[in-house]
Amino acid sequence: MSSVLDVVLSSAFLAAVLRIATPYLLAAFGGLVAERAGISNIALEGQMLSAACTGALVAGYSGSVALGAVSGVAVATLLGVLLAALRLELGADAIIAGIGLNLLASGGTAYAVYSLLDDKGGTSGLKSGSLPSITLPGVENVPVLGDALSGQNLVTWLAFLAAPFVAWLFYRTRFGFHLRAVGEMPDAAESVGIAVRRVQYTGLALSGALAGLAGVFLSMGYVSFFVRDMTAGRGFIALAAVFLGGLRPWGVFLAALGFGAAEALAVQLGTLDVPPQLVSTIPYVMTLVALALYAWRRKRRGRAVPAAASL
Amino acid sequence: MRYGRSAAVVVTVTGMLALTACGGSGADDSGASSSGKPRIKLVLNGGLGDKSFFDSAYAGLKKAEKDLGYDLKVVELGSDRTKWEPGFEDAASADDYDILAAGTFDVTDYIGKLAPEFPDKKFWVFDAPVDYSGKNGACSNKCENVYSVTFKQNEGGYLAGFLAEKLVAAKALKGAESLKKVGVMGGVKIPLIEDFVVGFKSGFQAAGGKNADVLVQYVGGDKPFGDPAKGKEISTAMYGQGAALVWPVAGLSGLGTFESAVSAKRYAFGVDSDQYQTLTDQAQKNTVVTSILKNVGNALYKAAQDDQKDTLKYGTVSTVGLAEDAVGYVNDDHFKELVPEKIRTELQEAADKVRSGSVTVPSAL
Repeated sequence: MSSVLDVVLSSAFLAAVLRIATPYLLAAFGGLVAERAGISNIALEGQMLSAACTGALVAGYSGSVALGAVSGVAVATLLGVLLAALRLELGADAIIAGIGLNLLASGGTAYAVYSLLDDKGGTSGLKSGSLPSITLPGVENVPVLGDALSGQNLVTWLAFLAAPFVAWLFYRTRFGFHLRAVGEMPDAAESVGIAVRRVQYTGLALSGALAGLAGVFLSMGYVSFFVRDMTAGRGFIALAAVFLGGLRPWGVFLAALGFGAAEALAVQLGTLDVPPQLVSTIPYVMTLVALALYAWRRKRRGRAVPAAASL
Repeated sequence: MRYGRSAAVVVTVTGMLALTACGGSGADDSGASSSGKPRIKLVLNGGLGDKSFFDSAYAGLKKAEKDLGYDLKVVELGSDRTKWEPGFEDAASADDYDILAAGTFDVTDYIGKLAPEFPDKKFWVFDAPVDYSGKNGACSNKCENVYSVTFKQNEGGYLAGFLAEKLVAAKALKGAESLKKVGVMGGVKIPLIEDFVVGFKSGFQAAGGKNADVLVQYVGGDKPFGDPAKGKEISTAMYGQGAALVWPVAGLSGLGTFESAVSAKRYAFGVDSDQYQTLTDQAQKNTVVTSILKNVGNALYKAAQDDQKDTLKYGTVSTVGLAEDAVGYVNDDHFKELVPEKIRTELQEAADKVRSGSVTVPSAL
């Protein structure tokens, strides 16, 4: 047991939590913004994947990591807008359209990589580079935390800044008020002169952009190449964090961080004498427990979450 | 509105499905042979581009096409399991092949069922045997038209473990001289992957190492053989726990290991194919001491040769390992640069002992 404690208190563990939580945090905030705008974005996974693929390809061909990252985020943003358009213009079910986008991303990225690189596995043959790591001067002198923080990727810092940003956006800006109003009751929002569609389009674009940043991190920060379907279900775990966090920015922050911690724990405990099958279930068991807890809490409160948020 | 909505759904979904269908499958070489050459159809329950297993099989058959005058056609069924059974049925019932080749444990049931239905066709199964006993519903004709070939990956694991301990004990790895531990990162805990691990541990002990110094961990999760980010995280943890080198046996997840080896300034072994060759980044290449080869392609090429001479033994399993050069390690200049001559000789001797049968490596199968 003491060895478990040693692991959890080590700076290596904390650093791993920050790394692993980064894509969860960004994608979860993406999911949160969409959910509060009244359109469930279950295409987070596909948006991440498209961004990861585009980022690595553009960076590899242009030689510019920054351009790659920007294009990745842009593609994911467009997919967010596309989802909104399918829902708002054609009246498609957001869930089904989202599934469609996920399939499109999975097949489309594999096809793009194959037609450009003649490689069906990924872009590991293309040198694309990574986004820079950031070490704040002096931070490495702080015990434990210093080691964990220094040398983290730029996107990891952005992921943690996304929490106060989204909280500020929701509760301190005009757009945030409009977004929440639209999500809760679009008719009422419209009756007081809010441009419902415009708000929803903007919300979904922002949602896609955040998911895109998560994807770019995977292929240009975590590792420096794209592999077919490399998101490996992270978008769906992020979606679970959205609901577990009670659709509130700091709740979602804690939930995503919790998933990161659970997975980091599974990784760090993996070499100890614990059955691997058991260890690898930790994040999933946590997801189920958390969702059950969420449902129970909601039932007890007897109050529904925003009307449109029906998953 | 109502009509518009369902129409939109239909359009969206069918559009997506059509697109994924384009991305997910496709034949490499179309058109049946009119030249009378024997036609091989390689049906993959996955896709090419894995840089190891399926790519190796493809390369071997491609060579057979070039050197031995076969016609080769490839069908990729993708990673969606629900498409495998109908995919194999379609592939087998089409009359555009003479030999159907497929691999991994997952296909044995399908082939066992299809082979008796198409007695005029030949089937090759690699990396797992069909159930020749015919007791469990499959192989009602005792699969007399099926040739299976399996690999002694435990012998490859043995050499990896032996080399790892020798390198660590001799403090031969620059920058990792103080470390005693080594790591093996498997994809999932299944018998086939365990076979690598069991072999590794046995080799590590044979060279004088302690079992406790071998860290073993599995990627698991949604894409155990396709999640390099998680592979990197696990490798980083192993290096952090004092592993001088890590051997990934996890397909594309293993690509993460080489990246973490660079940042940790440690070492790694490759698996299945020569990963010093497949990696492009020089810093990552430098971390690869050697690769433990499982030469699926060679075994298929040999099957193609034997089949031409009518000496391929249908209705049986052949198990190939070091002695047949189906398993081995890369002995290139980079290897010679990193590994002292004494250790290279000892490794060679260990391999000879396994080859001659004087050492038997335990197996998980």
